[in-house]
Amino acid sequence: MSDWLLIDGARRLFAETCTHEVVQAAEAEQWSSLVWDAAAGAGYASLSELELADALAVLTVAGEHAAPVPLAEAALAGWLVGETVAGPVSVAPGGGLRIEGDSVSGLARRVPWGHAVERIVAVVEGQAVVLSVASAVRVERHANLAGEPRDTLVFEAAQPEEVRAAACDLRERGALTRVALMAGALAAMARLTVAYAGERRQFGRPIARFQAVQQHLVCVAQEAALVGAAAEGVARAPGLFEIAAAKVLAARAALAASRAAHQVHGAMGMTQEYRLHHFSRRLWAWREEYGDEQHWAARLGEALAVAGAENLYPAITGGSAVV
Amino acid sequence: MLFAPADLTEEELELQREVRAFLATELPRGTFEPGLGMAAPRDRGFSAKLAERGWLGMAIPVRYGGRDRSAVDRFVVSEELLRWGAPVGHHWVADRQTAPTINRFGTEEQKQRFLPAICRGELSFAIGMSEPEAGSDLAAVRTRASRVEGGWLLSGTKVWTSGAHVSDWFVVLCRTGESTEDRHAGLSQLIVDLRADGLTVRSIPFLSGHRDFNEVVLEEVFVPDELVLGEIGGGWAQNTSELAYERGGPERWLSTYLLVEELMRAHEEVLGTERASIVLGEMVASWWGLRRLSLSVARMIDAAEAPAVQSALVKEMATRFEQDVLACVQELVALEPVRDGDSLLERILFEATLSAPSFTIRGGTNEILRSVAAKGLGRL
Repeated sequence: MSDWLLIDGARRLFAETCTHEVVQAAEAEQWSSLVWDAAAGAGYASLSELELADALAVLTVAGEHAAPVPLAEAALAGWLVGETVAGPVSVAPGGGLRIEGDSVSGLARRVPWGHAVERIVAVVEGQAVVLSVASAVRVERHANLAGEPRDTLVFEAAQPEEVRAAACDLRERGALTRVALMAGALAAMARLTVAYAGERRQFGRPIARFQAVQQHLVCVAQEAALVGAAAEGVARAPGLFEIAAAKVLAARAALAASRAAHQVHGAMGMTQEYRLHHFSRRLWAWREEYGDEQHWAARLGEALAVAGAENLYPAITGGSAVV
Repeated sequence: MLFAPADLTEEELELQREVRAFLATELPRGTFEPGLGMAAPRDRGFSAKLAERGWLGMAIPVRYGGRDRSAVDRFVVSEELLRWGAPVGHHWVADRQTAPTINRFGTEEQKQRFLPAICRGELSFAIGMSEPEAGSDLAAVRTRASRVEGGWLLSGTKVWTSGAHVSDWFVVLCRTGESTEDRHAGLSQLIVDLRADGLTVRSIPFLSGHRDFNEVVLEEVFVPDELVLGEIGGGWAQNTSELAYERGGPERWLSTYLLVEELMRAHEEVLGTERASIVLGEMVASWWGLRRLSLSVARMIDAAEAPAVQSALVKEMATRFEQDVLACVQELVALEPVRDGDSLLERILFEATLSAPSFTIRGGTNEILRSVAAKGLGRL
């Protein structure tokens, strides 16, 4: 069970700081000192020092408010290195870097807020390598579907600040952070959609009274509940089975729930001035990051096929303790 | 929080191990024809064996023959029986919904009379809700009970009454008062003997040829006062609470489970492709997630909450998934469903194909569940 004081504090902090205007401005300016300073001040820049379930619970709250800061990345950096990395810090999610003697060269692609952080952690040949962003010869600005910075950093014979054996599997832990964030975004999307359908009137009554609209509301609520249950399950038993299953469910939910939520909101949901896109665009982006439903379903399916028919149901109930 | 957390305790896991060991010994694979979830055959002898182990009426108090355990314990036992394809038909309705409803609303005399016999696996019950003019709109029931000395005279017609021809009793939702502006007023539940005078059971053959479905015609059937369940006029609320037991359980996502296990056992060759891995992985991810939600409904029942909205949400998506599973298996293996096929997979594919449309109808259509859930979401 996660720490309720911690969660309650996170709820208040993100509700106060991540207003629609702040999240909107963070996208335009590609950084939010306001949110980062508040989150770091509350200790959320060192989530890797908490119990895993507590760290994920904070990320879920961050996802619920579309917090435009690299909290998941700070946690991932800490887990990779084995202790909190002074920040702001981000991680390089993919390969592309190589170690040559005692220096590092190559490209670090899709680095969240790469231009705005002080250092990044990359996994090179099984080593967690800490690099100062100042040591990059070039930084190219890119973004994901949600407009969150996903930059390319170019290194040429850069001297790492630190090299240690990577203390976790980045793809698994990365997927875990995305499940936590997505559970929050889906919960927010469900609340927003149900509330909107109750307020918006057409034909003289709230649109929530129309059965065709109710079908969409139920879909959003179901997907949010399913991913909420998955996030809770994977926080308790963060094995490969649970991570894979949870990311499959979250990735599919990103598509199904966003489609239904947008349909309920009509044209209003397509505008920047209304908040829905903070959640739908993030869900679409996070669905892809650290492996989509196809990637994780294939890994899960392969493991299940090896375990065989006799172990199918025990795997469904016991997860990574069985498979 | 909309759903309660769902993990099994060490005691619950121990129960799971016991049930698995029991099934492996009592009902080894290959020695019986497994059924598809709750549509599995009726077998009094098997139900009696479960009763001996204390696995019927688990959440019923010990003084009425139960074990004072929990809805989660019942969940653990049920999911193992269902996924095994065990013959649960005889006790299914009584154990799932009649016993908890009598325990909650029944008189002391009713509890003494029915609960121990249900817990021993002796009495079986059917469900007397649907009527020709009252399907999804259950408040439209026309079956009427009129007051006479010492009881009620019950007249009307119930349909889609599974097992009425072999069960002992059924709980009938009927009108005892006038329908006012509140359509839910004036409804009551009566416990009715399926062999009573004036009661006729007529078979309605299922499209597969199975004869489990019935029409039950009631012509001035006398029901004594002591068989009124709960309050006269309180039938709607009682029936709604009964539906929370009927919805959201493992029988809503395990009806087609065995197809996949059997596919893996008998057709290992189809699992080698990436596509097959993805399909298998996606199905198992769904089972894992749905099971957690379903387990959390059981936890909420144990916490004396009323998870009507949650169970409607779960049943609506879980039963669609049951149908998806059939489609996935059909995609992975080219095998004609055959009633008396040589392989088990051919035979259960036959049953599944012909019964799958009912998954999203029985126990409340998906359309009515969406309506129940959507109204509840506005209030949560």
